[in-house]
Amino acid sequence: MIKWLESEIRPSTSLRPLVMNYIVKDLMVPISEYATIPEGSTLFDAIVTLGNAKVKTSGAIVPHWLVLIMGKNKKVLGKLSQLDILRALAPKDAVTDRIDEMGKFGFSSHFIARLRDEYRMKKSFLEDFYTNPATMSMKVEDFMQTITHTEFVDENTTLDTAANLMFVKNRLSLLVTCEDRFVGVLRLSDVFSTVLNTMREVSKNLRKI
Amino acid sequence: MKEIERLYDRIIQRVNIDLRELEFEVNPYVQELIPLVQMVKFYAFYGISPHLPPHFQFCNSNLAGSYFLGRCKVTDSLLYKSDIRGDELKKKGDLFRYLDYDMQVGDDEEIEIRNSLLIKTLVHNYSHDPETLEKFFITDTISMNYANIHGSPSSGCFLGAFATVDLTTMRNCVIGNFSYIQASEISHINIESGTIWIRNPGRFNFFYRHNPEKINDYIYVTPGAAPQGLFVDFIEDRKEAFQRIFDSVHIEQPVPVPNNASLDRFAVTKGQTHIGENVLVAQRAFLQNSWLGQGANAQENCFIINSRLEGCNVTAHGAKICEADLGRNVFVGFNSFLRGRPDARLSIGDDTIVMPHTIIDSKEPLEIPPGRLVWGMIRDRADLETNSIAIDDFSAIDSSASIGDLFFEGSGAQFISAFKDRIRHILQANGAFFNGSEQKGHAQKNQHISFNTIQPYPEGMKKGLFPTILIEP
Repeated sequence: MIKWLESEIRPSTSLRPLVMNYIVKDLMVPISEYATIPEGSTLFDAIVTLGNAKVKTSGAIVPHWLVLIMGKNKKVLGKLSQLDILRALAPKDAVTDRIDEMGKFGFSSHFIARLRDEYRMKKSFLEDFYTNPATMSMKVEDFMQTITHTEFVDENTTLDTAANLMFVKNRLSLLVTCEDRFVGVLRLSDVFSTVLNTMREVSKNLRKI
Repeated sequence: MKEIERLYDRIIQRVNIDLRELEFEVNPYVQELIPLVQMVKFYAFYGISPHLPPHFQFCNSNLAGSYFLGRCKVTDSLLYKSDIRGDELKKKGDLFRYLDYDMQVGDDEEIEIRNSLLIKTLVHNYSHDPETLEKFFITDTISMNYANIHGSPSSGCFLGAFATVDLTTMRNCVIGNFSYIQASEISHINIESGTIWIRNPGRFNFFYRHNPEKINDYIYVTPGAAPQGLFVDFIEDRKEAFQRIFDSVHIEQPVPVPNNASLDRFAVTKGQTHIGENVLVAQRAFLQNSWLGQGANAQENCFIINSRLEGCNVTAHGAKICEADLGRNVFVGFNSFLRGRPDARLSIGDDTIVMPHTIIDSKEPLEIPPGRLVWGMIRDRADLETNSIAIDDFSAIDSSASIGDLFFEGSGAQFISAFKDRIRHILQANGAFFNGSEQKGHAQKNQHISFNTIQPYPEGMKKGLFPTILIEP
């Protein structure tokens, strides 16, 4: 739950001090509310978990973008985004690999997309790929992004610093820790909403002055 | 011998460092590939002619069996049986056109080879890098057997066996075996074997890759062993003929040569071979029972056997033609391998362009009509259907096309026009259009070249290294 701090009472015309009043803990989604699956799960499990996982924020129900893969001792082993899942599910063979490689040789994305479409048209069996038992039973470990140390942030870090980490490291989320424990996820959407709300507040105060 | 060993290790180390981002190590490919004793056995030689006054500088290098022409400087390098042909370098005052600029060349261009290991490699043409007009540099580079570095400055690169880089500046790249690259500028890229890639940004992009399994029959390289395959066997089978011409000081001209044609003293000619007017036969070319009509040329490391070339044919560096009949103006690109059989000849019609690194190896008679564009690997008539197209049809492509394993994007007309212009330029440079007084080319200018030999230290720490030598006109 977001806590509004004392400084809000006094009208302010500066955005930065207001944002500084938050810490990561205020905005994170606790791990208990986040989409997680144990290691060894299938890609299908991941899709179902992600499809069902929603978080309630400011009255609105927002779907999760990530599912976390948990190891023993509640350690995060990796993560799978919607994009990772789509990438994992994309039909692959020697021809598609070659088509994908064409970008390296300066061919336009339009041309590559056309080649892909043409190949799909030729290979109608690819349509069945998504419902293929072999596809459904692929393991998440084969497709997940492993977690690097730059993705963690302490729960007491200011929001300003966390936001800076996100854009410098180009991250859509950060994993929140309390001492050595993993306690939640800080999502870009929540950070952005907070910044937006603060801006609105500042704007309102300006009009009052 | 100690110093040459140190030099070998140093070059390998430098190239490894340059290619670390690509996680490519050259050691397995070149370590002990050439026994160092081989590097002591052969002399190096350079050509002198009034058209090409010598400007050579050799320092702390081994040059075993290598040939030099024009203006070049070799430092801290090992050149094994390589041809460094500087007869097309830019001259002081020449204009070099790049985009909308006409840039004046400030000094005579020089080939500068430093910290490099070139094995049976051809270096030719001039630097096409607008940033280094006066220097065609090859630094921290290793090239394997029968690679071509053609108008392509190189830094920190590895070229596999029979690879060609043409008119392209390359930095920190790996070029796979039998790949042909012409892409203006490339960096930090590892290109798989058998890739044919021709790109002119904004105009066209041509891409083909040979089937890896099929190409292994022709060229196969495993770490720790010398290159193997049909290409290597083909050359090895004819090696002895070259031994004789390199061992002899005086060689009688084996066949009549018109006074406007040139047959290099280090070319092999066997059987009933005809050299027509304005024909150019370069060093290390091999001709046997073949007819070269007016204006045809056979460039370095070419083999033309039991074949007839009607005239104005370009047989580019390393191309091989056996049991074939080629019409007029047929272009056979770098390292192509065209093999008919005595009872199943290969016939190629006029004005056909055989793309670089094409393999035509048919056991059935094959007739390619005039005016075709041919690429890839063709072993029978069915392959010919998917690996060739009428030049007029290709010219009609205005956005993109995929034909079999060939991918093309851009203007077909511009692609064909660029090729035709280049073929015309090659013929012109080689003297195919000489009319008795004008348009002299290599066929006329290279007729009277004297050759001098130089030798390495025979014993001691510097055994195998050539002394520092400066040769001026």
